[in-house]
Amino acid sequence: MAILALKQRSADLAPEPDSSGPIELVRYICAIGALQSAAAIPRVVPITHCGPGCTDKAYMNVAFYNGFQGTGWGGGPVTPSTNASQREVIFGGADRLRELIESTLTVLDGDLFVVLTGCIPDLVGDDVGSVVRDFQKRGVPIVYAETGGFRGNNFTGHEAVVQAIIEQHLGPDAGERKAGLVNLWSLLPYQNTFWRGDLEEIKRLLEGIGLKVNVLFGPDSAGISEWRDIPRAAFNLVLSPWLGLSTAKLLEKRYGQPWLHIPVVPIGARQSTAFLREVAAFAGLPSAPVEDFIAREEARYYNYIDGFTDFYSEYWWGLPAKFAVIGDSAYNLALTKFLVTQLGLIPARQIVTEDPPDEHREAIRAQFRAIDHDVSVEVEFDEDSFVIHDKIRSTDFGQKPPIIFGTTWERDLVKELKGTLVEVGFPASYEVVLSRSYVGYRGALALLERIYTTVVSRSA
Amino acid sequence: MAINLKTSSVETREQRLGTIIGWDGAASSLAEESAFSRGDCASCGSSRGAKARRVCELQGPFTQGSVCSEQMVECQAGNVRDAVLVQHSPIGCGAGQVIYNSIYRNGLAMRGLPVQNIRFVSTNLRERDMVYGGAEKLDRAIRAAFDRHRPNAIFIATSCASGIIGDDVESVARACEADLGVPVIPLHCEGFKSKHWSTGFDATQHGILRQIVRRNPTRKQDDLINVINLWGTDVFTPMLKELGLRVNYVVDMATVEELAQMSEAAATVSFCYTLGTYLAAALEQDYGVPQVKAPQPYGFAGTDAWLRELARVTGREALAEDYIAREHARVKPLLAALRPKLKGLKGYVATGSAYAHGMVGVLRELDVEVDGSLVFHHDPVYDSEDPRQDSLGHLVETYGDVKHFTVGNRQQYQFYNLLQRVKPDFIIIRHNGLAPLAARLGIPAIPLGDEHHALGYQGMVNLGESILAVLQHRKFHQDIAGRVRLPYKASWLAEPDPFALARLATV
Ligand code: SF4
Repeated sequence: MAILALKQRSADLAPEPDSSGPIELVRYICAIGALQSAAAIPRVVPITHCGPGCTDKAYMNVAFYNGFQGTGWGGGPVTPSTNASQREVIFGGADRLRELIESTLTVLDGDLFVVLTGCIPDLVGDDVGSVVRDFQKRGVPIVYAETGGFRGNNFTGHEAVVQAIIEQHLGPDAGERKAGLVNLWSLLPYQNTFWRGDLEEIKRLLEGIGLKVNVLFGPDSAGISEWRDIPRAAFNLVLSPWLGLSTAKLLEKRYGQPWLHIPVVPIGARQSTAFLREVAAFAGLPSAPVEDFIAREEARYYNYIDGFTDFYSEYWWGLPAKFAVIGDSAYNLALTKFLVTQLGLIPARQIVTEDPPDEHREAIRAQFRAIDHDVSVEVEFDEDSFVIHDKIRSTDFGQKPPIIFGTTWERDLVKELKGTLVEVGFPASYEVVLSRSYVGYRGALALLERIYTTVVSRSA
Repeated sequence: MAINLKTSSVETREQRLGTIIGWDGAASSLAEESAFSRGDCASCGSSRGAKARRVCELQGPFTQGSVCSEQMVECQAGNVRDAVLVQHSPIGCGAGQVIYNSIYRNGLAMRGLPVQNIRFVSTNLRERDMVYGGAEKLDRAIRAAFDRHRPNAIFIATSCASGIIGDDVESVARACEADLGVPVIPLHCEGFKSKHWSTGFDATQHGILRQIVRRNPTRKQDDLINVINLWGTDVFTPMLKELGLRVNYVVDMATVEELAQMSEAAATVSFCYTLGTYLAAALEQDYGVPQVKAPQPYGFAGTDAWLRELARVTGREALAEDYIAREHARVKPLLAALRPKLKGLKGYVATGSAYAHGMVGVLRELDVEVDGSLVFHHDPVYDSEDPRQDSLGHLVETYGDVKHFTVGNRQQYQFYNLLQRVKPDFIIIRHNGLAPLAARLGIPAIPLGDEHHALGYQGMVNLGESILAVLQHRKFHQDIAGRVRLPYKASWLAEPDPFALARLATV
């Protein structure tokens, strides 16, 4: 079969052959995986225009066999899909999509519908935009994003979905700003196994110092009404190494909203306190209530840490000294910072796996180089698990068995190294995750429990 | 119709068998309309002359995300223990590595084999490759797969993207095969090519038949039986041992050599004709390995007939009769103890097609009522075209009709109305996406990850015990049932006809 018409894309096609090679044991998926980002917003329903397997692949693997998270209101098996066939490939699928959207409106109850495209329509050149615009003109709450598999991964697909909602669904006018209201752009829903609990904790911290938070995704979000409130916020907080930056820039351009970028998601008291002080200063909050909140949180945190100290100083059978992290930049950086600065563990290898856009890599490197006043880490970027595992095998972990923060893919490797594995990212097929969080003050305690329960339970 | 192993692509199920994915009515009517019976549907007119038999199909405007052929290739070719699967696709298709890894690892553990990760390599096609083609990347990925793992075979799964841009997968595979000295086997499984995913089983089996199965076997293994299955526990070895037979499990978790020796076996059987139809028929046609043509091994009637036919084909009748008698004597009191506890319960089966026919039979053996069943597709005939394999006909004749028999391609929105129609106490499922809805209605599900759970005589006991266990889960499900809201419009939830939209569209 011959190619029909690849849609004209102005300048973003790489002129040189790219260096991307084969990938074994995937650590991210294609852009249409962002259907679960749409589904992460309460009462939002994704609609996929793609082959019959794309939707199932995206949710079964990212939402189910990754912590068994559940799929949300309109995600997973609820997601309407054209299940495009030979007919749509040969004659185009715009009519089929129109028919699907029309019938979706009679079957499904949603506050917003998000159309996502897969490889097929993006290759055969369906004019998805004009189909969706017809519905928009009729007042149907619907937007679309081009997320064909070859266009990018589920991180960039997520940004495409977010920006589609902002540009196609929110009005151009910012209106009145609400003092103390912040939009939070942070972890990638579902891809990050712990995103729900983590967002809940981050929201709790920000509210603790007196802010109101549009958390936007997950059970704590009010859904689309909260999204409509985005332009009202006083500022945008990007809490991740790079994801969300382009959204913040878009919002600055569109509504003149300022933004604050904090690359390190805080784990533990030191980072959480630093995080809150930085946000408070940016937001111009009075310091007394902020310091009050911090004091209360730290008191609770260190009370538990005090108990943990007995174990950490006196456990007879050995604890790991060196660690490696294999994961998305956000968690990799957060964990490395916590383990180094608070536990005094020694970083042996840090591999970032989500293929961050080139323009952000230097900044990520810089963050790792400045992990602590006395520790600098050279981070590596790899996506192919075969290469990653070879690197871990050749890493010097010293005499003690290492602890690896990774994914299910590392199970065999860790057995081979006689080390300990903590599954902290996609795919985590041997973890059941409900509201567990590893960030903030509270999450850090859960993380310590997890790490050392794993270590101790293996010892006899 | 003959199976053609000369072409590189498999003919789709709809072409070969007239497969449908939308139908609603009594099981007896569907059995009537299917080709085993007459071959023509009264309202569609004659299909004589057409390649496949025709059954009227309901098609609606609303569809939810389904499953594609490539996923079935992943779960078959991808689980061959000493092979590697190269996915010629952008990275999204590689998502399946996650689920099939989990299933593979747990399957290996159940069989007592060394647990290891699956070996899938994605060619990782990007935007540029869509313009300039991905053949070179495919070549690189195949060679990388070989260098890394030294496999005994390399499978290639095609994708929507590679199909549309028209990459010449065949030539790349041939060149690599010549260089590497192991079979390099293209499996054509573009998701858009077939409306039902089961074509993906056939695509895998087609490739194995063409490039792995030994063509002119010099020896015959008279006691070796090919068992076409997935990753289920090993129930066949002890069962066939009674007849003095050995098991050759294919395709999942087999080695390449085990696949190659299929042509030397004495017969082929499977736990499900949906999965086994193509491979078994082709082994008989091209290699003279007879396939056992009998009802599937579920319930007393099916298992008796299946064992007797296997015994006949392999000349072991006396052994079989002795085994059947002993098993009846062993199992009957166990079932007699179970039946009173299960009587009056209503079950619902939502699984693949031929498998559902078997499960309904087992439920009826247990005195569980079955008023409804959903199968994800329907093959009006299997590749053998032999009426002894008419699994739906066998169900209706042996156990009576199923009033609400539905064919639907795993559409959750219809599942609501289907369940309302029959209000079951529990459901039996394979394939994801439906149990969560049932759960929210207060109905617990028995997910049969181990496909052998309900097979044979012991299977009836197993399933009976699983039902009693899952009924206890009702406490959990009923607790949440009152508290959740479903994403469907009230008007749709009030609709009694699951195919209302389809019927509107065809008027
Ligand atoms: S890569 Fe393309 S065909 Fe594969 S899952 Fe993604 S959108 Fe679908």
